[in-house]
Amino acid sequence: MTYLFQVLNGIGLGMLYFLLAVGLSIIFGLLQFVNFAHGAFYLLGAYLTYDLVERGMSFWLAMPIAALIVAVVAGVTEALLLRRIYKLPHTFHILVTVGIALFIQELVIILWGPLGGSVAAPDGLNGVVIWGDFIYPKYRLFTIAFTAVLALVLYWALERTRLGAIVRAGSESTENMALLGYDTLRINTVVFAAGAGLAGLAGGLVSPIRGVEPFMGVEALSIAFVVVVIGGMGSYVGALVAGILVGVVQSLMATIWPEGARLMIYIGMASIIVMMPRGLFGRA
Amino acid sequence: MLLINRPLVQFGLALLTVLALPLFLRSGILASEVLIYALIAAACNLLLGYTGLLSFGQGIFFGLGSYVAGIFLTRYGVPVWMVLIMATLLGAAVATLVGWLSIRRQGVYFVMLTLAFSQLFYFLAYTFSDLTGGDNGLMDVPRPDLGAGPMNNAWSFYIFVAVSFLVLFALMLQATQSTFGRTLIAVRDNEERAAAIGFPVKAFKTAAFAISGAVTAYGGALKAMLIGVAPLANIEHHTSEMILIMTIIGGSTSLFASVIGAAAYMILADVLSQIWPRWLLLLGLALVCVALFLQKGLWGLIEKLWVMFFQKDQSLEKKEAEH
Amino acid sequence: MIGRRKLLLSTAGAGLFLASPGLLRHASAAGDVLKVGIPVPISGGNAANGKYASMGAIIAAEEATAKYGREVKTFDLDTEGKPATAVRKVQDAIQQEGIQLFAGGILSSESLAMGKEADKGGANFITTAGADEITGTECNAATFRWSVPTFGAINQSIRPIIDALPNAKRWYTITPQYVFGEGLLQATKDVLEEKGLELVGNSYHSLTEKEFSGYLTNAIATKPDVLLILNFGAQCADTLRQAVSFGLKERMTIVVAWASGLEQFEALGADLCEGIYFGAQYWHTIDSPANAELVKLTRAKYNENPNYSLAGSYICTKLMIDAAMKAGSTDQKAVQAALKGMTYAGLTGEEHVRPEDNQVIKNYYLLKARAKSAMANKDDFAEVISSGQSFLEVAKTGCKLS
Repeated sequence: MTYLFQVLNGIGLGMLYFLLAVGLSIIFGLLQFVNFAHGAFYLLGAYLTYDLVERGMSFWLAMPIAALIVAVVAGVTEALLLRRIYKLPHTFHILVTVGIALFIQELVIILWGPLGGSVAAPDGLNGVVIWGDFIYPKYRLFTIAFTAVLALVLYWALERTRLGAIVRAGSESTENMALLGYDTLRINTVVFAAGAGLAGLAGGLVSPIRGVEPFMGVEALSIAFVVVVIGGMGSYVGALVAGILVGVVQSLMATIWPEGARLMIYIGMASIIVMMPRGLFGRA
Repeated sequence: MLLINRPLVQFGLALLTVLALPLFLRSGILASEVLIYALIAAACNLLLGYTGLLSFGQGIFFGLGSYVAGIFLTRYGVPVWMVLIMATLLGAAVATLVGWLSIRRQGVYFVMLTLAFSQLFYFLAYTFSDLTGGDNGLMDVPRPDLGAGPMNNAWSFYIFVAVSFLVLFALMLQATQSTFGRTLIAVRDNEERAAAIGFPVKAFKTAAFAISGAVTAYGGALKAMLIGVAPLANIEHHTSEMILIMTIIGGSTSLFASVIGAAAYMILADVLSQIWPRWLLLLGLALVCVALFLQKGLWGLIEKLWVMFFQKDQSLEKKEAEH
Repeated sequence: MIGRRKLLLSTAGAGLFLASPGLLRHASAAGDVLKVGIPVPISGGNAANGKYASMGAIIAAEEATAKYGREVKTFDLDTEGKPATAVRKVQDAIQQEGIQLFAGGILSSESLAMGKEADKGGANFITTAGADEITGTECNAATFRWSVPTFGAINQSIRPIIDALPNAKRWYTITPQYVFGEGLLQATKDVLEEKGLELVGNSYHSLTEKEFSGYLTNAIATKPDVLLILNFGAQCADTLRQAVSFGLKERMTIVVAWASGLEQFEALGADLCEGIYFGAQYWHTIDSPANAELVKLTRAKYNENPNYSLAGSYICTKLMIDAAMKAGSTDQKAVQAALKGMTYAGLTGEEHVRPEDNQVIKNYYLLKARAKSAMANKDDFAEVISSGQSFLEVAKTGCKLS
């Protein structure tokens, strides 16, 4: 029975990991850009949500507003800074985004202090649901539903809208985009902002579960990398499947061999790259 | 080649650094640490600058070296020279393995693979705490005793570090000047052509990894002796990141560039952290600035200044020749 | 040739500039000033503790300056929470500044390493870190520890609960996998076995873990009466948040063996903590003259109540200063002789430095968090429901000081 519960819990966890990683994956797919600042955008989203809720704003309003602010910050960063360095080798992408991540993390400490805090789950989502022996917090159940809906919307946006078509075309070849006469610069900004905004949204969504603290971005970044690498960089479906996979493995390992949970995940990541370099769903 | 990039001049600059550090730094430990990181950054540069491989796994070899020192000096009383050789060999062996697996992938996938390995080794070290001391690390690592008693004064150990540094730096310079080094550069510049000519590209890349890992592990062993502990933090991915940052800040057009990068990072970090606890914010800004304005690193800046002041004529001649 | 000389000169200039903060500090530290090094993490992941520790040390120094009529100064040494950096800062402080008194160290790994360094370097070090080895198997003559080790923490936090809740038969533990956690877990097993109670399960986790839902699901499945949380700091906060959201507070008693103090309650909030038991080294409402004085001083200087980091650093710094004054010098052996066996009016009542292992014998507390409506002021998060002293006999600590 415990295993079944762990799988269920793992799926819940995996949906969060998907939300965390999908932005990183899309950014990589379109821009061929490794974003080490992704965890910092997650951190910023969480803290902005926390701050707005502390000021008395409803959580339902705070979370999207926080994500929007993160998207704007990221969009401005892209327009002023990142677009100057796309053409440089990956070394400089990493250098700049590590720099931005450090900057945001220290800024968070300056603004909100080093201690962190809690965000209460919104009214109505406190408490738990009980099925026999299985207990699950209402709020976590909500995050699964919320992320599932969001996943569908994203899928629709990628598959059925013009921007989505452009993003998909761009993932295959940036020249395609230019040939089709699109304003690639603007599209890059919008996609980068959207990817970072999704990370910010993940941060806000997670804040009632984990609270906020200044170093939460580091762990989030490493999880996002694992998910993106396993799923295949640039792949939407990959992020979804790999997110759930990582969540379920982590949760099951909590019962089987908790000490080795992280070890297993990184062994998995390394073997995937060695054997299937494009990940499970990456385009060849 | 610019005068300042010639091997003899590079070695002269390294020697100068060794002599100059005691004049400007009051702390023998900080000075020793600068040299150790300079050595390690140069080893990282061998991969980044000369082979075009951005490795996030340098912390693995660094941590291994310090664990070898910690385990064999404290538990088995193996003599120092042998421990250093063991660290070097193990570093080379593990780097060969990590390198051989990682170079099967290119670009971002290569970076991600080295990142995964660095996490893997961290959790290995954490899980096998009987061997590594886990979170406590290994303590009481002694400094070498070369007949005159253990080097309790940091400056006497500095001499030991300095000699190691100069020898290994010279060897690495030698390697970059050899056919081997030239081939690495050929591979970096155009891998397909190098392969077409018939160079065993993979073997060369793996060899570069082995050398880099060996030197890094040696540095890790030195660090453990310097500080007296082999902590888990040495094998963390932060260490890898720091080594990379030093290397990139220094620049990758010459080996001495990494010495500049390591020294700048260590000394500025020491000064800034005393002034402002949130100094990492400034580091973040500095990284962005380096990527935007100093893509060839601090050494690139020095090269530029050098050309501006001392080799103006040469560069003019060159330009005219190009016309 | 001219070129090279110019280059040399400019390097020299840069070097001088870089070295100058050190030189300046050195000049101002000269004279008959008593210097105490405070090696704590000021940047990095434990910066919050370091900040309060620095504040507490300053109070101790100011108090001593007034009391002894001799200037006492504290020197913050940023360890960044890394053992290597910590050791370097301590070595430098000894060799450059001639500092021989050190009070600090938040993390076990950095404290163990610094204790060794102080011993080698002719200095003394006192800490509040948790690992048993500090006054156990890795003890040395120069390392002292104020906080109660794992044995006492467990005995003083779970025995009162066992007595108060006779129906609490089944226990489940969540343990960080490193020596500190292992120490707490072993002590727990011993107490439970002695009392004939059952440990129905344990979950180990790594020091980087932030997601505890898997472990909580495990715990729920074993239907325990008590959930005993053995991790610390941010991880402890994460575990508690997630445990409460899983409704565990309504289904079992939750106990945190080693709370990090007032700042933890502030970060978690009163609603979340209500009804949970916390083992604690210190609480600002402790009824003792020394604590009343510290609360008064802290409120006057910083306009807040002292938390564990601040109080621990205060008392450690004070102990070092008092010992040096008593010895009439900062000499390593003289200060050790003054500290060993010292009995003094401490924050937790009368405290005593056990000479055989340099462990301070003091109270450990069990707190129960109040409902928000029952709080008398903003810091009145919990009431002290019991306190007492439990320490392993010296022979069992593994410490061999002779």
